[in-house]
Amino acid sequence: MNYPKELMYTKDHEWLKEEDGVAVIGISEFAQDALGDVVFVNLPQEGDEVVAGDAFGDVESVKAVSDLLSPVTGTVCAVNEELLDSPELLNSDPYGAWIIKVENVTDKEELMDADAYEAFCAEEG
Amino acid sequence: MIERLLVCRARGTDPYENLALEEALLNRVGEGELILYLWQNERTVVIGRNQNPWKECRTALLTEEGGHLARRLSGGGAVFHDLGNLNFTFLMPAADYDLPRQLTVIERACQSLGIPAERSGRNDLLADGRKFSGNAFYQHAGKAYHHGTLMVDVDMEMVQRYLSPSKAKLAAKGVDSVRSRVVNLREFVPDLTVDDLKTALVSAFASVYDVGTSLACPPIRKNLPNLSLRDQSADWSRQSILPSSLQTLTPDEFDLGGLRAKYASDAWLYGQKLPFTLSVEDRFPWGGVELQLNVNEGVIQAAKVYTDAMDETLAPRLEAALTGCVFRLPAQRSALEALTLPEEQKVNLLSLLERSL
Repeated sequence: MNYPKELMYTKDHEWLKEEDGVAVIGISEFAQDALGDVVFVNLPQEGDEVVAGDAFGDVESVKAVSDLLSPVTGTVCAVNEELLDSPELLNSDPYGAWIIKVENVTDKEELMDADAYEAFCAEEG
Repeated sequence: MIERLLVCRARGTDPYENLALEEALLNRVGEGELILYLWQNERTVVIGRNQNPWKECRTALLTEEGGHLARRLSGGGAVFHDLGNLNFTFLMPAADYDLPRQLTVIERACQSLGIPAERSGRNDLLADGRKFSGNAFYQHAGKAYHHGTLMVDVDMEMVQRYLSPSKAKLAAKGVDSVRSRVVNLREFVPDLTVDDLKTALVSAFASVYDVGTSLACPPIRKNLPNLSLRDQSADWSRQSILPSSLQTLTPDEFDLGGLRAKYASDAWLYGQKLPFTLSVEDRFPWGGVELQLNVNEGVIQAAKVYTDAMDETLAPRLEAALTGCVFRLPAQRSALEALTLPEEQKVNLLSLLERSL
């Protein structure tokens, strides 16, 4: 299992990276492994407001629908529309396949660094 | 670890209230708890979280005939519910989610009634190679549910009627339904009732999770029923014993107003933010017509009309009338009626739109 050092992580298994004041959000390798084959990603639209801790979309896999909880409060400024046609990218490249980018971030969930997140995942088994 | 078993039975058969209660129960379920929720919907097509309603079901036909369209939180395909169907939901903290164990409850309940139920693949339950239960799954913020249908005596003609594809060509992203060969449990046990099944489920629930219960499940029979055995088990199940380890949750404990409104709203049912295109065509005595509609968030964003009708104003007027129109039959009907057109053309065009819904 891979936990890139440059990313921050949530308890809900999303990753977050800050690029020039924009928060880039995706799901971790642990998450994609637990989900199994992803068949659809339900995305917000550019301009939508997201709230830290609230659902901003969902991932449907062969096992379940899982809500995506936003680690930040802000405005969606980009959506990875490639995922609409190729949802399996979340399985094959979870750290490359970002889901949304959020700007005007005003609030954040509690985040873990890679080491803390790895320990958290080990506990969840 | 599961330490407390709770059972909740829905109050009525309104699909929106029942889905609202299901979500309220998920919010309510606490650490160490497992809730079994039993519910039934009157004539309803329930689509998966990420499905296009027009692709999966004849929405206009269904609603004009008094049925309901509902969208659930879980994934997967479209199913038809009526009072011949029983729904179950297991709700628990995600850490206690155990699909094989949950399916064992269903399997044992069926077997105790003489139904030759068996597991197939990861999450299918079959009897005689045919499916009688469709299962789906949802998780949110550390909690999860697994729910499914149990077809006791569902009206198969209605299944065909509402889940048949429309005449329109539809290009939409989303999750497609997979057709399965289905069977009613009455075919195996002719006098089976939904109440029998409810009782058997509650007993199997207590027995499989065995949280200090003294009530054992009747012996499991893997093979086709020997009738006398089946009769005994029916008598047993009709005694309606609620094992003492089970607690009851009553729907009245929950305020469902806001959640019910969400499930019944056009935004939730039809308003997906996911553009799709639909085209439908036909030939009438006055000419051929092809409609191409671009729909997003439940509204026609753009309409293109191709026709060889004599009236050259028809195409632009129709395009203008449909653009911005809500993609539902009543709205389209009023948009058409506002146009100055021969009555015959209106009737034909309306039937064309109706077919696309």
